[in-house]
Amino acid sequence: MKKFKWTQAGLVLLVAILIYACSDSTDDKGTEPVDQSKNRKAILTHWADNIIVPSYANYKVKQDAMIAKGTAFAAKPDAASLTAFRQAWADAYVEWQKVELFDVGPGAKRAIRSYVNIYPTNVKGIEANIENPTASLETTVSFDRQGFPALDYLLNGVGSNDAEIVNYYASATDGAKKLAYIKRITDHMDALLTGVIADWNGTYHEDFITKTGTDIGSPMGELVNGYILNYERYIRSGKFGIPSGAMLNGVVAADKVEAFYKKDLSKTLALAAHQASSDFFNGKNVKTGAEGPSFKSYLDALGAKDIATGKTLSETINAEFTAGKSKIDGLKPNLYQEVLTNNQAVKDTYTELQKAVRMLKVDMTSAMSITITYTDNDGD
Amino acid sequence: MIAYLEKKSSAAPLAVFRMMLGLMLFISLARFWCKGWIYDLYIKPRYFFSFFGFEFVKPLGQYTYLLFAICMLSALFVMVGYYYRPAMITLFLSFTYIELMDKSTYLNHYYFISLLCLMMIFLPAHGYFSVDAYRDKTLLSGFIPRWCIDSIKLLVFILYFYAGLAKLNSDWLIAALPLKIWLPARNDMPVIGFLFNYGWVPFVFSWFGCLYDLFIVFLLLNRKTRLLAYLTVVAFHLMTAILFPIGMFPYVMIGTGLIFFSADFHRRIIEKVAFLLKLPAAFPDAQNTYTFSKTKGKLLIGAFTLFFGFQLLFPFRYLLYPGELFWTEQGYRFSWRVMLMEKAGYAQFTVVDKNGKQEVVSNTEFLTTLQEKMMATQPDFIVQYAHILKDYYSRHGFQSPQVYVDSYVTLNGRLGKPLINPKTDLAREVDSFQNKSWIIPLNDEIKGF
Repeated sequence: MKKFKWTQAGLVLLVAILIYACSDSTDDKGTEPVDQSKNRKAILTHWADNIIVPSYANYKVKQDAMIAKGTAFAAKPDAASLTAFRQAWADAYVEWQKVELFDVGPGAKRAIRSYVNIYPTNVKGIEANIENPTASLETTVSFDRQGFPALDYLLNGVGSNDAEIVNYYASATDGAKKLAYIKRITDHMDALLTGVIADWNGTYHEDFITKTGTDIGSPMGELVNGYILNYERYIRSGKFGIPSGAMLNGVVAADKVEAFYKKDLSKTLALAAHQASSDFFNGKNVKTGAEGPSFKSYLDALGAKDIATGKTLSETINAEFTAGKSKIDGLKPNLYQEVLTNNQAVKDTYTELQKAVRMLKVDMTSAMSITITYTDNDGD
Repeated sequence: MIAYLEKKSSAAPLAVFRMMLGLMLFISLARFWCKGWIYDLYIKPRYFFSFFGFEFVKPLGQYTYLLFAICMLSALFVMVGYYYRPAMITLFLSFTYIELMDKSTYLNHYYFISLLCLMMIFLPAHGYFSVDAYRDKTLLSGFIPRWCIDSIKLLVFILYFYAGLAKLNSDWLIAALPLKIWLPARNDMPVIGFLFNYGWVPFVFSWFGCLYDLFIVFLLLNRKTRLLAYLTVVAFHLMTAILFPIGMFPYVMIGTGLIFFSADFHRRIIEKVAFLLKLPAAFPDAQNTYTFSKTKGKLLIGAFTLFFGFQLLFPFRYLLYPGELFWTEQGYRFSWRVMLMEKAGYAQFTVVDKNGKQEVVSNTEFLTTLQEKMMATQPDFIVQYAHILKDYYSRHGFQSPQVYVDSYVTLNGRLGKPLINPKTDLAREVDSFQNKSWIIPLNDEIKGF
């Protein structure tokens, strides 16, 4: 009998509190429309159609131009064709920075970054490959013997001035082999990009926009992790942390800057990459420049903000992007020289970017509930 | 009290529970094996995070598979009640060993199962509808002391009620966190997904979840509300199974909930099972009562009283620590705190030797993704990891290495901030039950339990 009363009381209380709980929350209910900004399909579609696919298309234009100038250079190696090839290479390299961050689906499957932008390049490996025209360019060993960094060496590093560089290719004994290796590199880049673009224009597009989960295997999960990894490892560490010695064992390694042989391009590349990450965060349409569905709009729709300050997470992250950009802006164009003479500024840049890394990696993924493991979890 | 201890009740519920437990554990372990987690979680990692005081429990390399096989086999033995007591002891020891190997894999329901198994060693769950009782008719008993079944109910009560108490906090009730973060991520689910776009839905889920945990056992105990309550159990746990990656827990609880039903109900289950398996109908009319010898009975009652006393008090040990429990996690585990936090973190370690040589550690060279995720948000993991690093770098040319961490943690949507004092040399700190003074306070209060 006693027990009976207990449970009756519990039941009444349960119902009462339930009613209270529901009525308590009706304040929000009336005012809030069904919010399209939490629609991940809209975000994925915007990413695919207005950012990723057009970015690859833009990059293809520049890469095709580079390949054409390379062909012209091979046909007639002289100072003029070298200058034109080098300029086209630099333009394509900058454009590459705007697609490197899409480490998802077709690009990730082909590990396109590994073949296109692993530096420092391996001069001995390049020389060996020149000698052996059948050396595979598909193995992990070949990563640092091809792509933009290898072309950097081949266009800027094989002589101390243009005349010497032209001579390097004019050699009667092995000039042809060297030019042939350039062609092998650019052909490989072409094949990779063609494959990536074909996939995006094929069935992957549908997969990408319809698999709307946030778990580890979903396109969004993969994209978020790839996007952050790019910012952390390939912008923060690769472009600043490792050359300045701010990372790992503290050893300064100026020769590990990007575009080491061209030297004065390194800052331009870093700025382009940083801008691409920031623009992607804000969902900037590559064709129109207008902002669309994005991390920013999604985080805002989720109401992600710091309880203490009331500042939205997207504002905080954007402020950090601005701070990072201004640190990079403050550097001189030649990061190799900066590491040697003004290294504290490079280290400071690393430290500033590190703040954005944490926010992207911790605050943003947590707010979006992106899972990074697949095992059971009962709530952290 | 004495009168209560002498009460008897049907042995059928305990027998059904025994079969359910054995079957669930068998399925649970088989699932774990099939998913390749034995390798991923216990063989692939290079280092393991021990529970305090259980540092000797380590994975056994390839023999870990054997350990799982033994555990699975003993679960089957328990299920059919064959050599019940040795099987139950084996099941308890092997399962608990598995769960103690690496605390990165800690789940509350594994702890629950370990506790159940420990209790079941001493309960006469083999006296009815078991191979043992079939072979040895002196064991056969249709009735058992009532406290045997009630103690299982009590453990279930503690699990739910304490989980409910833990939800009585401002993040859960006032801010609907972390559900406000988790539910929108599931807004692409068929049928109900659209609901998660509404701001009020996480509040309903939070409040309902809290009330459910607090009151469900009372409703299960009452015969009048029992059926409805049990349907709620099924619906609630199936919902959590769909929404969250919590593995077997929902099914274990759905199975466990049956214990609250009447003896008749369990007898009908047994008749069904017996009929399906074409077993002899010798069991249903067993009339004798399983009795413990006088001293044994006294000892058991004493032990169970101690056990439950511990269970009731241990979750409150967090009160002995300063600081915010969700932030420091001092006294967080083994307390039925489930699904309460969205916590994520980042921890970058720097090892410095006395000559100034230093290195920033790449965590992926030491830890798996799961381990790194767990480590980054929990101070006891962080200090254990610091010692792993200290030992490693001592062997690799660092003289008396110091270990510092640059940590950054977000808790239930608060903007991330450092968890650990970056100036503390963690190589000099040790993990213990003492307060960890090198945790930087949250400077925010989550009110409530």
